[in-house]
Amino acid sequence: MFRLQGSKVLAVDMTGDAVKAKNGSMVAYDGQMTFKKLSGGGEGIRGMVTRRLTGEQMTVMEVTGQGTCWFADRASEINLVRLQGETLYVESSNLLATESGLRTGTSFTGLRGATQGNGLFTTTVEGHGQAAIMSDGPAVVLRVSPQYPLTVDPGAYIAHQGAVRQSFQSGVTFRTFLGEGGGEAFQIRFEGDGLVYVQPSERNTIAGDV
Amino acid sequence: MAFREINSKMVEATVVPGQRLFSQRGAMLAYRGEVSFTPNMQGGQGGVMSMIGRRLANEDTPLMSVEGSGTVLFGHGGHHVHLIRLTGDTLYVEADRLLAFEGTLQQGTMFLGSQGGVMGMVRGQVSGQGLFTTTLKGHGAVAVMAHGGVFEIPITPQRPVHVDPQAYVAHQGDVRNKLSTALGWRDMVGRGSGEAFQLELSGHGVVFVQASEEKL
Repeated sequence: MFRLQGSKVLAVDMTGDAVKAKNGSMVAYDGQMTFKKLSGGGEGIRGMVTRRLTGEQMTVMEVTGQGTCWFADRASEINLVRLQGETLYVESSNLLATESGLRTGTSFTGLRGATQGNGLFTTTVEGHGQAAIMSDGPAVVLRVSPQYPLTVDPGAYIAHQGAVRQSFQSGVTFRTFLGEGGGEAFQIRFEGDGLVYVQPSERNTIAGDV
Repeated sequence: MAFREINSKMVEATVVPGQRLFSQRGAMLAYRGEVSFTPNMQGGQGGVMSMIGRRLANEDTPLMSVEGSGTVLFGHGGHHVHLIRLTGDTLYVEADRLLAFEGTLQQGTMFLGSQGGVMGMVRGQVSGQGLFTTTLKGHGAVAVMAHGGVFEIPITPQRPVHVDPQAYVAHQGDVRNKLSTALGWRDMVGRGSGEAFQLELSGHGVVFVQASEEKL
């Protein structure tokens, strides 16, 4: 059971079940806990191989026990996401913890990933349960519907869920190369039906330099 | 209580004549009224002997004493500030995390090796906190600094609490602490979960933990 203690600490009440969490993110626990590193990031040999190939390696540990375990990472804000069979796409660096009912995998993002400075692959979380994702500053959840597509700065994007198509937009023109770019050269456009999580901060991307 | 929280990163202290406050040097942000700030060469109270003790123990973060009448705003380095109130019990905290405290509190140093033997000494090395810690005892309030917000976990004899040494801020009460290890052969070959060392706190009291594994 995931709950937030303040906005920066995740408390997980456990009764013998297991959660997956970012390596080293435990700050305290009571009761009995064991911490085990998952080799290559879980999901068997195939997952390990794809992770190695894609560079989408998150070092994950499995926490099992009885009691309460608290997680936090560099004072990042934490957002709880409940999944009911759908898929959450999130950058591995923004994923703090997932409940045992969720599977994690890797998916290809194409050019978008490159502009985000996060590589060409992203992490997927699927199944039933809660996930805790991190953001630099409090995140907002924006709804995408067929009537209202959404365009997001790649550096401020942290995650999305639902039946959403994403495409990559570039505003690069010859003016950009003359040094007259607006500073918003790349965007991600979301269309369909779903939710997009956006943080009030822009991580460094190649788009920021254009 | 002499302190009042203004926001998560600032506290306001009320200074009245005849009552002294101590604060980390340079932590004053603003003040109203007639207030004087004097560098405290001894790094706190207790005279020359305790000063030597603190020097040796490396717990001699520069302090200043604050006297007069008025209000003073304290904050430092954009760190989060957390207020802790003591009613006769003892607070254990690293000197560099102390932002300000009331002069009614008795300051001292404690050798960590005396709790938990050798592991107590290892504890200081592992957490990068040295072998000594500062104690404050009595009745009054203390403002401590942390990276990210601070939360409190109660410690009861039935439920000892384990804390990541890097996320540990302070603890109060009648508490024993020792370093526990979860070191197995996996950690030796560099495949650990990153949670190889923990501070185990047991007894009666409260432990303060920050939402980050970064030092100040």
